[in-house]
Amino acid sequence: MTSRSLARLVVVTLSALLLLTGCAGKKESAGPKKIVIWMQMDPEERTRFTKNVAAYEKAHPGVTIESVPYDTENLRQQYQTAAGGGAGPQIIFGPSDQVGPLSQLELIKPLDAALPKGFFDRFVPQSLDTLNGHLWAAPDQVGNHLMLVYNKKLVPVPPRTAAEFLATAKTLTHDGSYGFAMNVSEPYWLAPFLTGFGGWVMDDKSIPTLDTQPMRDALAYLADLKNAQGIMPKESDYQIAETLFKEGKAAMIINGPWSWSSYRKAGIDLGVAPIWALPNGNPGRPMTASKGYSINVNVKDAEMATVTDVISYLTSAEAELLDAVSLGVLPSDKRAWMDASIQNDPILKASQAGFDGGKRMPVVPEMRVIWDTMRPGLQKVMNGSQKPADAAKEMQAAAVQQIAGMKH
Amino acid sequence: MLRASRSFPYKLLLPAIVVMLAVVLFPLSYNFWLAFRNMSLYHFRNHQFVGLENFRLILAEPVFYQMLGKSLIWTSVNIIGHVTIGVLLAVLLNGPVKGKTFFRTILILPWAMPQYISALTWRGMFNYEYGAVNLILKQWLHLPPVPWLSDPFWAFVAPIITNLWLGFPFMMVVALGGLTSIPGELYEAADLDGASSWQKFREITVPSLMPVLIPAILLGTIWTFNNTLVVWLVSNGGQPADSTHILVTYIYKVAFTYSRYSYAAAFSVVVFILLLGFVIQVMRQTAAQEKSA
Repeated sequence: MTSRSLARLVVVTLSALLLLTGCAGKKESAGPKKIVIWMQMDPEERTRFTKNVAAYEKAHPGVTIESVPYDTENLRQQYQTAAGGGAGPQIIFGPSDQVGPLSQLELIKPLDAALPKGFFDRFVPQSLDTLNGHLWAAPDQVGNHLMLVYNKKLVPVPPRTAAEFLATAKTLTHDGSYGFAMNVSEPYWLAPFLTGFGGWVMDDKSIPTLDTQPMRDALAYLADLKNAQGIMPKESDYQIAETLFKEGKAAMIINGPWSWSSYRKAGIDLGVAPIWALPNGNPGRPMTASKGYSINVNVKDAEMATVTDVISYLTSAEAELLDAVSLGVLPSDKRAWMDASIQNDPILKASQAGFDGGKRMPVVPEMRVIWDTMRPGLQKVMNGSQKPADAAKEMQAAAVQQIAGMKH
Repeated sequence: MLRASRSFPYKLLLPAIVVMLAVVLFPLSYNFWLAFRNMSLYHFRNHQFVGLENFRLILAEPVFYQMLGKSLIWTSVNIIGHVTIGVLLAVLLNGPVKGKTFFRTILILPWAMPQYISALTWRGMFNYEYGAVNLILKQWLHLPPVPWLSDPFWAFVAPIITNLWLGFPFMMVVALGGLTSIPGELYEAADLDGASSWQKFREITVPSLMPVLIPAILLGTIWTFNNTLVVWLVSNGGQPADSTHILVTYIYKVAFTYSRYSYAAAFSVVVFILLLGFVIQVMRQTAAQEKSA
């Protein structure tokens, strides 16, 4: 009798637990449709997203959209865990390079197969990334390209050559104010210089190409700007550069479209220009990328219509044009790209020029490893503890080793 | 009737047991299982049994020994610091001090703050040009500023300072509890024998504190050894140049940046075995000491 009631209790407790854990994945079947989106967005971007979501929900009373913000790293990590366990949100929004690992892990659907035929026809071609023959994300913007951002009050005309840049930065460095500040601890900021000196991060077989003369030149050039020319703060990372610029204490910085609206809000007379021509005469060429929506591989067919509709709306010309000018992001929809409000805005026009001069960032999973293995060398060269040649050699060796480990 | 009442405690414990099985035993066994497979970015759904391959890789790479050394330095410096500062403050607070409650509250504050907020605040304070630490060094002490976050040596010192600050209140509270339970007669008897303060501290306070301090040190060692948060946040993920990692932050990076799940699982099994060995050793020693006493 007692052992039977004990057994019954075990069964009841276990089934209660199962029910609790099972609930998460079963919400779609009954009642109003709920779409969950996990996303990486900057605060201004999120404001626009919220407005677009509200508009969609108003037009579709049966659908509610719940969004959960993450930073880039956490988004990927949390999603990997959740989707790998058969759950997670229906939609994930983030930078295009996240489709590399997520598609390799088979955690997102190939969208060219999952979405209706012709869905991608209305997107500007530069906004789409093909990986292993498939499209994995529907972009709502293109860009992510670094540009020279300057304070017009201090720099009326942006420098076009290395000599002009140095002269301008030197005259503006005095008493706690700097001519130039830049995030020198992140390799994304090294990329325009690497490309400008004629290099690239990998060959067409995704094998790293880091131990090259362009890499040594780019590292040496940045180290000289930071450590020898006295135009930059001694510890110059993203936060420092941004804070100094907002306070008017840095005349020029390098940053991407996601940051521009906050500078205008801070009262800076903002100018944006392509990165100056490096000593070899070629301009710095930033990496370009999009941000977009991908669909969880666990989404059931019954839900696909709603999920597709939500993504269609969030990437429509109407949604992309909302606040586009104040946000400073370039749309991915062809009609929105050609819209007068985009074409006539000086910042967005400069941004388009910078984007056209950029080079598409690879979305293969190897890119992650390359970023991570470039970072230590970059930081060591910038703090003066390593020579560019040694750093380049170490980056390459570490990248090759880590990629081998990843494929092990 | 008797049998029914005997099973009753188990019924009460059952929900807790089920939850423990689900959230402790299952993940732990899954981690062990994973350590012998090759789950990674390229073998996420189709991983296979690879035997001891991951362990062979770990033990063959110099990175393991570097991280182990760093972890040992990190743990020992922190624990020695926590105990020294904690006991010292506890002894002071236990003496005749004015405003005891005020000081006790102030000194417990680091413990009351969420760890990640403290860690990020400290990171801000360690900034070379604008951080509070260097401003104090420069303006008040007239010392040269220290490159806290960009030099590999100082970038490891910075999280240690942060964790010393975060960790001493725990030892202080434990030691305070221990101090109040030492009978006053012992000190009175020592006074009659003409013992100095140092002698009283060494012969009465320290031995009486040991029974409470040893479990606290044991716990503290495991917590500190496995403390990912402080190192990760103060050094911004191992910066500069991955030179500030300890074993656990390195495991985190390998698992979630490079998606080398099985390799990271094997790495955590190694850490688990190391800590288990340490705990068994300490427990044996204390048991031996108790017996001889």
